[in-house]
Amino acid sequence: MKKMNISTILASAIHESKNQVGTLLYQLQGLKESTGSNDPNQNKIVLIEESLKKLNDEWVEYLYLYRLASDGYNLHVDTFLIDEFLDDQVFALQPSATAKKLQLDYACDTSLTGTFDERLMTAVVGTAVYNALRFAESRIIIRAEQEEAFLVISIEDDGKGFMLEDDQADDLFEANTGLGLYFAELSASAHVVNNLSGFIKKDTSIALGGASLKVYLPQSIKD
Amino acid sequence: MAQQDFSKKKALLIEDMAEARIMQRKMLTDFGFTSIDIAMKAETAIDLLRSRSFDVILSDYNLGNGKDGQQLLEEVRHSRLIPHTATYLMVTAETSIEMVMGAIEYQPDGYITKPFSQAVLQRRLGKLLETKERLYKVNVALDSNNFEEAISAAKQVMEKYPSLIGKCERVIGESLLEIKEYKKALSLFNKTLKSRKMPWALFGKAKSYFYMGELEKAEKNFRQLMLDNRFFVSAYDWLAKIQIAQDKPEEAQATLVEAIGRSPKNILRQMELGKISLSMNDPLTAEMAYRRAVFLAKYSCYNTAEVYLKHLESLARISDSESLLPRQKDNFDSTLKKIHESFFDDPDIKAKTYSYEIDVYIAGKDPLTAKQIFEAWLSEVQSGGATAPTKEQSALYNKAFGG
Repeated sequence: MKKMNISTILASAIHESKNQVGTLLYQLQGLKESTGSNDPNQNKIVLIEESLKKLNDEWVEYLYLYRLASDGYNLHVDTFLIDEFLDDQVFALQPSATAKKLQLDYACDTSLTGTFDERLMTAVVGTAVYNALRFAESRIIIRAEQEEAFLVISIEDDGKGFMLEDDQADDLFEANTGLGLYFAELSASAHVVNNLSGFIKKDTSIALGGASLKVYLPQSIKD
Repeated sequence: MAQQDFSKKKALLIEDMAEARIMQRKMLTDFGFTSIDIAMKAETAIDLLRSRSFDVILSDYNLGNGKDGQQLLEEVRHSRLIPHTATYLMVTAETSIEMVMGAIEYQPDGYITKPFSQAVLQRRLGKLLETKERLYKVNVALDSNNFEEAISAAKQVMEKYPSLIGKCERVIGESLLEIKEYKKALSLFNKTLKSRKMPWALFGKAKSYFYMGELEKAEKNFRQLMLDNRFFVSAYDWLAKIQIAQDKPEEAQATLVEAIGRSPKNILRQMELGKISLSMNDPLTAEMAYRRAVFLAKYSCYNTAEVYLKHLESLARISDSESLLPRQKDNFDSTLKKIHESFFDDPDIKAKTYSYEIDVYIAGKDPLTAKQIFEAWLSEVQSGGATAPTKEQSALYNKAFGG
């Protein structure tokens, strides 16, 4: 038998498993509906559901990561009203935040538009928010603004910020944080406009005092 | 966003996996849909779309062994089985997304990625229907081929809803191509490309150049599209058109063979390859293409007599130089049978079918059978059931029977 590339094998294995998570989620939804909202098990079901959703989103991230790292990803950009894009993100991630009793909002100029790969940025924002869910004290804000030739999407929280987290880098159990950042970085730099590449920046949130992950996406300057 | 009333909308759900189908049907019922039709595969969906109209079509990309969701969409949009006013939502898995996005010409109105919750589906559908409502006049004009009206309606929508500017510009550009205002279309696509590198705009630009006769510029832009997105196979079809226009059939044939390697299930592309190959006296390649087309036609909107007749013709042309192998003769008989079953009520089709049959039997050194077929043909001509053979045909056959 021809020897296969291990990352290709892993990617297809992840894909298979992800499908199973999808089936589990469907099954769980049925279970959730058949138990009343006052049922003491309802909380547990919601917890399982959120964990499965997160697992699914992580595997999506890994699949994209594989494709980005192996140059097999075709960027599909479109132009979006940012208000709508962020509203979608908050809508999808809200249950996870609520389950952790955290507040999740977004803020941007309602007329702001941006051009980028929607699926990729959905995965990036999701990854960043899941990460922020672990560190935030009470709130997370997704913010977007135009800074010269870049659209900047930042995910901010009121946790202890990036500095302290770096000190804990030895903690092997938290090692996947680095993977998320690497994914965000690859996704940002896959966006190129007029020789300008996207990038990410670890910063401190001025509004909330915690960490702020900024994703810079190059834009064509409109006439 | 206002809560949508789905109760009067007719939905078609296309999904091959029982579990997902039951789940999605339940979700739609919970939103308030009262009319939900179900198709487990593309062929059933086509039958349903032929017999009634739907407002919302929710289709999985992966539909098992037959046609996939994208091919289904292309066929039903191309043959206008679904109006522009209907909403088509494609359900995808992460791995199929790129394939779907490669289709620039026929895109669904939206995508949703599995697994999704009821809340996400409801919200996505609600938004899509809202957009459809805003574009209603535009889509009605497109459905009645009134492109001037579509352009002016799109301009109004754009003004009122700036977020729909991309969709409207696309409609305007493509409508300008339809009414042959190629220069205006080109300048619009260029204007879009200045601020946003949208694949449809680059595609429109390339097509504008093609129609303006600027074949080299057109080729350059189609090649750029192929570079940008290796899944955009339509660019190959256009490149082949250019090569035909430049009188380079060999290159066009090679281009189509490559495109078919990437996307073998497109029946129109197989037909085009067959046509080019016949024109350049390569009946072997033509036969292969038409044989596949015959196979694909069965479950397709393009199930026309032409597909089958062309397959017979290509086999008849092979027999011109050497008599058919048993396998080829079997193929001939099988396609012949399909014509007899479905298309044998048209005098011209009958005449063509008889002539290919006679060619094959003459080449197979069986003039007796050929003669019998010719006599059957002539008696059908008497009764008005078939078109008469040409003088050349009669002369040729009589010579063959006599010799």
